[in-house]
Amino acid sequence: MQAIEVSHLVKKFGPLTAVNDISFSVGVGETFGFLGPNGAGKTTTIRILTGISRPTSGTATIFGHDITRDTIAARQSMGIVSETSNVYVDMTAWQNMMFSAELYHVGRRERERKATELLSLFGLYDRRHSIARGFSKGMMRRLTLAMGLVNSPRLLFLDEPTSGLDVQSNLIIREVITDLIREEVTIFLTTHNIEEANVMCDRVAIIDKGYVAAIDAPERLKKTIQSVQSIEFSFDRSSPTQMDELRQIPMVNELRKEGDKFKLYTENPSAVIDGVMAYAHARNVRVISITTLGPSLEDVFIKLTGLQRSGGGVHAID
Amino acid sequence: MGFTPSINRGGLRERLSRELFAAWAIAKKDVSIYYLKPPVIVSGMLFPLFMFLAFAVGRPGGPSVLIPGLIAVTILFSASSVEPVSIPIERRTKTYDRLLSAPISMNAVVFGESLSGFLYSIGIAFIVLIAGLLIFRPPLVSAIPLVLGMLLTSFCFATMGTLFAAYPTESPGDIVSMLNLVRFPLIFISGIFIPLESIPAIGQIVAFFSPLTYGNDLIEAAFRGETHFTLLVNVAMLCIFILIFQVVANQLYKKFAQ
Repeated sequence: MQAIEVSHLVKKFGPLTAVNDISFSVGVGETFGFLGPNGAGKTTTIRILTGISRPTSGTATIFGHDITRDTIAARQSMGIVSETSNVYVDMTAWQNMMFSAELYHVGRRERERKATELLSLFGLYDRRHSIARGFSKGMMRRLTLAMGLVNSPRLLFLDEPTSGLDVQSNLIIREVITDLIREEVTIFLTTHNIEEANVMCDRVAIIDKGYVAAIDAPERLKKTIQSVQSIEFSFDRSSPTQMDELRQIPMVNELRKEGDKFKLYTENPSAVIDGVMAYAHARNVRVISITTLGPSLEDVFIKLTGLQRSGGGVHAID
Repeated sequence: MGFTPSINRGGLRERLSRELFAAWAIAKKDVSIYYLKPPVIVSGMLFPLFMFLAFAVGRPGGPSVLIPGLIAVTILFSASSVEPVSIPIERRTKTYDRLLSAPISMNAVVFGESLSGFLYSIGIAFIVLIAGLLIFRPPLVSAIPLVLGMLLTSFCFATMGTLFAAYPTESPGDIVSMLNLVRFPLIFISGIFIPLESIPAIGQIVAFFSPLTYGNDLIEAAFRGETHFTLLVNVAMLCIFILIFQVVANQLYKKFAQ
């Protein structure tokens, strides 16, 4: 039995098809990344998988329970951590934990034990009687995650768990997620942080415009676009015309400046290295470092979703 | 393909226990968060008081008419004042998604939300009753219709408040405005300040469709000793309204969750 089994799922909102005939499965204990640009259909899919929204057609099962027909049993085994830190800000951290546990019918002794354990794990136990309104963004996020785990779920939906957090909260949350993975909790991770998905996920699905563009292990996905390679250079000094000059080097398909480094994309790394060394010699600048890189998961994501890079970031093609 | 959540295991008893447990948790949460929110205080306590003062002071009729009227108006406004505030706020803060994704039916969510409005209303109506009895000393003929009237009317209007709060907005003002379009006319057609016998024939027909008519009749009976309808009719009609509001609210919440 799979933790999640999705078959030919379609969701339409009037003339708009938000999810278009997607099928995939997530094994028990697997960490599954669900990536896609804004408006790709990620949230709609999660709303269907958590039983909030009803599919137009197709089926989805959670540990064998049909999410449409057997919603309550399906939800009983899942924890949900939404993108927004949706805690009750007028209640204390402890009250928030108790309320979440009561919704899942967790017995009194068990919910108090679990709340104590989780609040301690997330570094919030000393603040358990504080009203959540006074919590920082990181503390709110940690409390949200603690609330999502209070029913000891076998499947956890994590929507942007570490987005925009301070270092401490980020570290705590990643550590807890790593522990959950070790305990074979199935994790369905949605994130914009592609490197996070690359490091944490057994497999990732890339969804775009309602379709699943690819599903595979991160390393296997990268192999599908081996032609996209890059070389990272840094020089001892820079000049205003450096970007334009480097772009003129033969075989450079794309150029990005990342901090004090230049990343040159090519299908012929050795030709580009020769070109850069010739440029450095001619301009009398010294190359401090050279790193050759294979395609990243972000490269795969960009190639499959048709996004294009803009400066240091990525933007959608209109 | 149906969308009625169900539990395959544990049977009906366990399911009911889970649903009631969760509904009680939702009610407790609302009690701790929303009872003292300014819009709830204005809508649930001040509104009925000013409505009563505006329409009752100076009119003929002794305490045995005015006190039941005050209790009925208080219940109407207070019972339907919590959910129209709490649910839009929870939509805005996304905490509402917690209720939608919990392993409980929509009926349990609707019931839990209504329960908090019911408790709020009963608390305030009880204070009004005690104050009225102590200050005006109206003759209390029978406690049974009073208790039935207060309990059923409170739950009926709490469910009505939950029903209106199904409208998918994040602004409490939108819902309270719509609700007032219904609440204010109800006062005039339900025999509170104008006896049913005295209102025009068309008004008397419309009064049959107001749950406040039956609630007010029960509460008045406690002080006057007689009912316009029978006690059984009043109780049955209030139960029917509660059922209708619960079922319609359940359907609307499901529809708008899409």
